[in-house]
Amino acid sequence: MTQASVVLALVVVTALAFDFTNGFHDTANAMATTIATKALRPKTAVALSGLLNLVGAFLSVQVALTVTNAVVKIQNSNGTPKASLVSDGGSALLLIILAGLAGGIIWNLFTWLLGLPSSSSHALFGGLIGATIAGLGWAGVNWNGDGSKLDGVVGKVLLPAVLSPVIAGVVALVGTWIIHRITAGLAARYTDQGFKWGQIGSASLVSLAHGTNDAQKTMGVITLALIASGDWTDTKNIPFWVKVACALAIALGTYLGGWRIIRTLGKGLVDIAPAQGMAAQSSSAAVILASSHLGFALSTTHVATGSVLGSGLGRPGAQVRWRVAGRMITAWLITLPAAGVVGALMWGIGHLIGGLAGALVVFALLVAAAVAVWLRSRRAPIGSHNVNDDWDVAAGPEHAAAVAAAEAPVAPAPATVTAAS
Amino acid sequence: MHNLGFALDGAWRVLLAGLLLGAGLPVLFAFGIRSLAWADSGGVARPAGRTLGYGLFAVVILGVLLGITFIVATGFGKALSFEHIYPTIVPKH
Repeated sequence: MTQASVVLALVVVTALAFDFTNGFHDTANAMATTIATKALRPKTAVALSGLLNLVGAFLSVQVALTVTNAVVKIQNSNGTPKASLVSDGGSALLLIILAGLAGGIIWNLFTWLLGLPSSSSHALFGGLIGATIAGLGWAGVNWNGDGSKLDGVVGKVLLPAVLSPVIAGVVALVGTWIIHRITAGLAARYTDQGFKWGQIGSASLVSLAHGTNDAQKTMGVITLALIASGDWTDTKNIPFWVKVACALAIALGTYLGGWRIIRTLGKGLVDIAPAQGMAAQSSSAAVILASSHLGFALSTTHVATGSVLGSGLGRPGAQVRWRVAGRMITAWLITLPAAGVVGALMWGIGHLIGGLAGALVVFALLVAAAVAVWLRSRRAPIGSHNVNDDWDVAAGPEHAAAVAAAEAPVAPAPATVTAAS
Repeated sequence: MHNLGFALDGAWRVLLAGLLLGAGLPVLFAFGIRSLAWADSGGVARPAGRTLGYGLFAVVILGVLLGITFIVATGFGKALSFEHIYPTIVPKH
């Protein structure tokens, strides 16, 4: 094995690791409400979601090789890497990708530790942007596109991040409110059973869409690395093993379940009733599919969170924990720059040491960070056994008191809209 | 700020489609549940309620099938076109 092929192998392994974190970070988007309302048992829910992600990943026959073009300028418009970056066996490009992926993974792990549903695509883009700024300067970033379509960091990342949770929230709010009007006063045996199936159906759609959208990104990044190192030349297709590996990585990640995030989204943000869960999940599914149909890039996480929040505002008597929502929104705001700083640092370290040793050090730092986060998470493990425990009680008296104090003055208006029931 | 214009243009379309499918279909589903409950209530058989209920569920399932068709079509590099009102699968431009 030459030095270049070792670096390439590190990039591929790191990309698959990112895909894996992408899976467990996003299980909550599809399944948090379904688990919280007990429409499915926790283990069944993650198994179903994992399976649908696997199927979804294999459905992406046409892979967008140009995935990085939305934010950075390391590829030509046909998907091939810029010639200036592959002059020395692709090592310049490989280091940017490796550092970018490392930035994305570290931020994903950190937010998972805190139980915050931040966007995996923002983490990936942030890492790549940071590594590109460090490697190529500000001009290497596609900030605003060329003005002919929605493009660049502003058009593909920032604006959708602001708009999509609001859209999803409005749709879920309207849906929840009307559904509660319609079914008010009905016996629970009709509503619970009915909405259980509604929830399972809509959550499955979200899982399937997630598999097709998100696994593609990693497939594109790995194929880009293979082209850069000269191991692949076809820009129309991707190697079959890349597809299999990415599909398995995201499905396994999803099946593992990011229980900390599922807990925050399912129990922490609002208390979810079955009808609300269905409204939230349907809103997510419709908004995700409609926007991908219209070419409006958005993050599944932002949509899912907006939906859950909207469903909390729409159900008469439901309570939204604004403190949790505030923490979440803060995490969204800093995801892009934070992953960017880590990506840039990683690039700096890798570049300073240089060559194979540089790439190995970046990889070792990534592994060390992952192990540290995992060890820290063991101090207060959250899994399928305690994911549905009461939020305020389980979080400890100190936390509960803080939550109560923070919530009292900002209790939302919906509490005053009393249900007919 | 060309991007802002494009984004707002996309946003209201997504909102419209979201309200129609993401809120509309669950509302039909809720009406379906209400119909089934009505069919069983009052001690007399009301087959109309059952028919209406399952009819509404069928509409919702068609909506879900449309969603799955869209996901699969996109995966294979196709797009859904609504130019004939009913959806057709066309090559992506």
